[in-house]
Amino acid sequence: MPNPSGKPKNDDKDTELIRAINGGRQDLFYALVQRYEKSLYNFGLRMCDNPSDAEDMVQDTFLNVFKYLKGFRYETKFRNWLYRIATSACLKKKRRSKYAPDRELSLDEFLPADESAVSMDLPGWASQPLDQVLDGELAGVIRQALLDLPEKYRLVAVLRDVEGFTTRETAEILDLTPTNIKVRLHRARLFLREALKTYYGTD
Amino acid sequence: MEQTEPHHSHENCLALFERLSEYIDRELDAATCKDIEAHIQACKPCQVCLDTLKQTVALCRNLERRQVPETFSLKLKNAIFDMVNKKVD
Repeated sequence: MPNPSGKPKNDDKDTELIRAINGGRQDLFYALVQRYEKSLYNFGLRMCDNPSDAEDMVQDTFLNVFKYLKGFRYETKFRNWLYRIATSACLKKKRRSKYAPDRELSLDEFLPADESAVSMDLPGWASQPLDQVLDGELAGVIRQALLDLPEKYRLVAVLRDVEGFTTRETAEILDLTPTNIKVRLHRARLFLREALKTYYGTD
Repeated sequence: MEQTEPHHSHENCLALFERLSEYIDRELDAATCKDIEAHIQACKPCQVCLDTLKQTVALCRNLERRQVPETFSLKLKNAIFDMVNKKVD
């Protein structure tokens, strides 16, 4: 629905810039690209694995943003709209390349068989300071585990836990219900937790 | 292995297991949170589940972002300027 007041309904920091671009200052478009280039590139790396696919995705996304920016309604944050376009570019990219097969993750896969099968001790990794693991081997384990997730779970995990979108925003970006997002996110997190348990050799 | 409290049932653990992410994300109502907290106080395995899941989320949130390679950044800049100039022409 158009916004009749013409004023943004949210405190989107990009609104002013977009209005200027749509008002004829197309030379400012690159400033918008610079704001999101790094975020989108990293989103691409999480989603596509291959850096060259990530680069293609970023470029395709910005070309589409430029093409459709006139039609941007100010009811949603620009960042949410941008990631919707980026997600679509990722999915197109994936269809053209062989990738991890899609499959359903069932909660049963992660359920402890009974109480006695669950460790009574808190594993060391659960309390490890975050700054010691961010760019080391563990970061590689997390990156790989994200890539091993079936795509529909990976998208949700990356948008929610890596990019920091809320449940409602993620639902809007992926055109799913918030309940659906919550279900997928929980299964994705349990999958990632299994990978970390394996890495640390704990149960 | 140490046993949990006698009143503690496996069904309660399974019910909680399904809602741990919503609990971490503060998406549950106050009464449900209170129930979960009471359960966790009494159940070491569920406490371990919660803590390891919390740390999994924290690790994802803190993954380091890589710099965009300069060669790509330049290529992107040129593509954008070409496109903008074409439109202006």
